[in-house]
Amino acid sequence: MTELPDEAKRMIGVEKTKTYQVTKKDIRRYAQAIGDLNPLYFDEAYAAGTRYGKIVAPPLFCHSFAFDDVPAEELREDGLPIELDVPLPVTRAIGGGSVFDVGSPISPGDEIKVTKKIVDIYSKTGKSGLLYFIVIDTLYENQNNEMVAREKATYIQR
Amino acid sequence: MITWEEIEKDMPIPSVTKQPSAMQLFMFSAVTWNRHLIHYSKDFAKHDGLDDVAVHRALLGSFLGQLLTGWLGEDGEVKRIEWSVRGSAFPGDEVVCKGRVKDKEEENNEKMVECEVWIEKNGKVIVPGTAKVKIFN
Repeated sequence: MTELPDEAKRMIGVEKTKTYQVTKKDIRRYAQAIGDLNPLYFDEAYAAGTRYGKIVAPPLFCHSFAFDDVPAEELREDGLPIELDVPLPVTRAIGGGSVFDVGSPISPGDEIKVTKKIVDIYSKTGKSGLLYFIVIDTLYENQNNEMVAREKATYIQR
Repeated sequence: MITWEEIEKDMPIPSVTKQPSAMQLFMFSAVTWNRHLIHYSKDFAKHDGLDDVAVHRALLGSFLGQLLTGWLGEDGEVKRIEWSVRGSAFPGDEVVCKGRVKDKEEENNEKMVECEVWIEKNGKVIVPGTAKVKIFN
């Protein structure tokens, strides 16, 4: 295990929160982007006849506001999401994985509080050399303080 | 219609084939406000050692989501998806999402099914994963 730069270590455990209001448009565009045209995601009349009684979002919809919407000027030249801009002696982002828990359904008008922090940064030597792992935990809660989603994502850089 | 009684171990989940286009990658970058060049600049992707712009980790996860929601319809809900990206997918690649039932058990009076899910490209698993779904009836 290679020692982490101090500036990287200091980023572990720093929590950031924001609140995001979900619109019909957000859900519709997310559904189109993933290629899922289930009318439950955009057709109010259809959704009214389902167990939900209203439009709901696809399971991983919280990805649509997972990354902080900072101005482009604050991003690195390669546009890497700011959460992953950790001062490590590597530049390439590769693969990664996720554990994504889905809670209460999300509908237009919901106010989602997003609480995000880096929970770990560590290194490993793989076949292709030194790899760094950044683990980010993100909790999503609605206006009734119900968990709507929680993701523990691991990003790999080399 | 999927019911609790008919779900059994090793039951296959009907597979779903996706062929993401460069336009879909652009739409997903836009909708997630992911400005990373690796998903829309072929020059940058090549400079970074890839053959082409890469399909997003989160978009691959959503393909597994669609495998599950397509199977469940309105008879159940996705509660958890775990996946890891072991190989890259590029625009035009045909990726096949597959799965099977691993186990079922009642948890706090809820009917939960554990599944193994994965994505194949050219017959090779590029994204292994697991999932947990809830069945309503």
